[in-house]
Amino acid sequence: MDQFVILCFAVVNSIALLALISLGLAVIFGMMRVINFAHGEFIMLGAYATVIANHAGLNLWLSMMVVAPITVGLIGALVERLIIRRLYGHLVTTMLATWGLSLFLIGAVTAMFGNTTMGVSAPLGNIPIGAYSIGAYQLVLIAITALLVLCSLLALHGTKYGLIARAAMQNSEMAATLGVDCDRVYAVTFIIGAAISGLAGALLAPISGVLPHMGAAYVARAFVTVISGGGALITGFLSAATILGPVEALLSYFATPVVGQASLLLLAVIILRLFPTGVSSFWTGGR
Amino acid sequence: MKLSRRTFLGASTALSAASIAGSFSERASAAADTVVIASLHDLSGPLDIYGAPSSLCMKVAVEEINADGGLLGKKVELRVYDGQSDINKYPQYAQKAALNDRVVMVQGALSGAAREATRPVLRKYKIPFIYGSFYEGGLCEKNTFCVNTGGTQQVVPLLEWSFKNLGKKLYYIASDYNAPRNFGTWNHVLAKREGGQVVADDYYPLDVTDFTSAIAKIQTAKPDIVHSCLVGGPAMSFYRQWAAAGMLNKIPIISIVFAAGNEHEVLAPEETDGVIVAYNYFQELDTPKNKEFLAKVEAVAGKDHPYINGEVFGGYSGVMLWAEAVKRAGSFEREAVLAALEGGIRWDGPAGIMTTDGPTHNTTQDVHIIKVKNRVWSLIEKKEQIPPDTYGGKCNVFTNPNQTDFLMPQI
Repeated sequence: MDQFVILCFAVVNSIALLALISLGLAVIFGMMRVINFAHGEFIMLGAYATVIANHAGLNLWLSMMVVAPITVGLIGALVERLIIRRLYGHLVTTMLATWGLSLFLIGAVTAMFGNTTMGVSAPLGNIPIGAYSIGAYQLVLIAITALLVLCSLLALHGTKYGLIARAAMQNSEMAATLGVDCDRVYAVTFIIGAAISGLAGALLAPISGVLPHMGAAYVARAFVTVISGGGALITGFLSAATILGPVEALLSYFATPVVGQASLLLLAVIILRLFPTGVSSFWTGGR
Repeated sequence: MKLSRRTFLGASTALSAASIAGSFSERASAAADTVVIASLHDLSGPLDIYGAPSSLCMKVAVEEINADGGLLGKKVELRVYDGQSDINKYPQYAQKAALNDRVVMVQGALSGAAREATRPVLRKYKIPFIYGSFYEGGLCEKNTFCVNTGGTQQVVPLLEWSFKNLGKKLYYIASDYNAPRNFGTWNHVLAKREGGQVVADDYYPLDVTDFTSAIAKIQTAKPDIVHSCLVGGPAMSFYRQWAAAGMLNKIPIISIVFAAGNEHEVLAPEETDGVIVAYNYFQELDTPKNKEFLAKVEAVAGKDHPYINGEVFGGYSGVMLWAEAVKRAGSFEREAVLAALEGGIRWDGPAGIMTTDGPTHNTTQDVHIIKVKNRVWSLIEKKEQIPPDTYGGKCNVFTNPNQTDFLMPQI
């Protein structure tokens, strides 16, 4: 029984982590079609913002929930204005530009804070489950991720801004004709995506080491999740995370972590072979 | 005076000859004053956390030698190269050191990959190579001397102690590359010898940051000891998540790599307290010789110098052992220095007595089993004069002088 609970926890945790690292990318890449290779670095910047704010004496939760998303959101605004704005619609150029941006950000952070690992320790202690125990912070992480996804879903489908944003993304000319300032919608959406990535990095900081090239560990998995998810923004990547996460967690547990990681990628390949536009085409009818 | 063509030519020839001779003698006198050795370490990039303090330790050694009047009447000059955590730089700089700087010794190339890139170049140019990292063991080459611990010298004492004091069931979790897999083999060798049991060999890719499944798996296996050979930034996540799950006080962690990157200073005390490791050297070692050494480090790098751990200490011991060999040989020539090292150079330094071992080109030394509390290491047990492993007699440069391959442990 204990073992079952702990396994369930591992599975849910794996889904939540995939969802958390992909949400910001789902907004920027899934919605805006901007291939953001600097996604991992946005996560890294969020983690740094948290650690630095916390080491400066600010409350950990405040550093994570407020400082990190605002900092990375501001950086996102700068990036959008200086680079991304000029490249909308040019997929390959955006890819190269954001790749360059990712190298620049790694270099800049290394120059400023050095190459040593930083970090904050996880708050809240642990919860015993029979003979086992799990970190309480990880449960909170799962809850926050669920809340974030829910909020994004509501914002996109339940608010006027969500409607305008979706319209601007789907058919910008038509939206512009109807009086929508598409440039502004793009900018705001990019900033929101960056802020969410920053928040993800902040939430990850207490359970991982924070160092300049940490983004590399996340960016591939985030892309795999979002691409396997397909067209339907939130539900798409969420279902992809729900399929990929358990496979990785369970195979890491019963076989080896290498098998777990490999099977995640293999499964993504199979998904894309069966649903070339992602799992969400299954119910959006895009197949 | 009438300047005939003949006298002009004669005079100018004499003049140029004199100037050439002058420059020669200048060179000769320069050569008479100093002798150059090279430090080849990563001073930037992800591996600078190991490379920079190692290079610093070489500098401390060189300044100490020069303050004592140099070697054979010459000052030692340290030429520092930055490998930039880029393997390609290593053969290039090794070649430059050999051909351009005419060094008499090169030390560094910390990582296994850097070492394997550097070794053939120095062998080709016949420049002795001192390898200062602790490593998996099994390097037995004529041109190379390993001054830090080889695999068995850390793993054997640590596991012997752990099987005796902590329990018989060992769980191995490690990063997935050559050295940890090599150490994994030693776990099985030791378990067989000591009546212990290795319940799992878990190898994780270097970019894994989520260890939830790993921790669940360990909890299911209920081992007495967790042996961790996880390295790098993402591996810090393991210690974080292990502590967050409340496991730190339940199952002890032992390691031979933890703290080589000063993890004990980066992570919080509540995430590391109780971790047990084995190294030849640690900074808190309470001996007069070590206090002297730390004072010299402070003199070179200031009060807030980086923590000197067992890994980077090789930078100091390597140069000092080499200097002892030069003194005994009375020469900087490769053959003479190598012969002196092979004859067993005994040096009583901050980490205790170290003796170079002729047949294996490794070093016999003390190993300390230590435990961290509140970021400070304290001694649990000292294992004296652990000899290097001979790999069943296969590691012997006297009988296999042309051996250059890396030896692997056999069960």
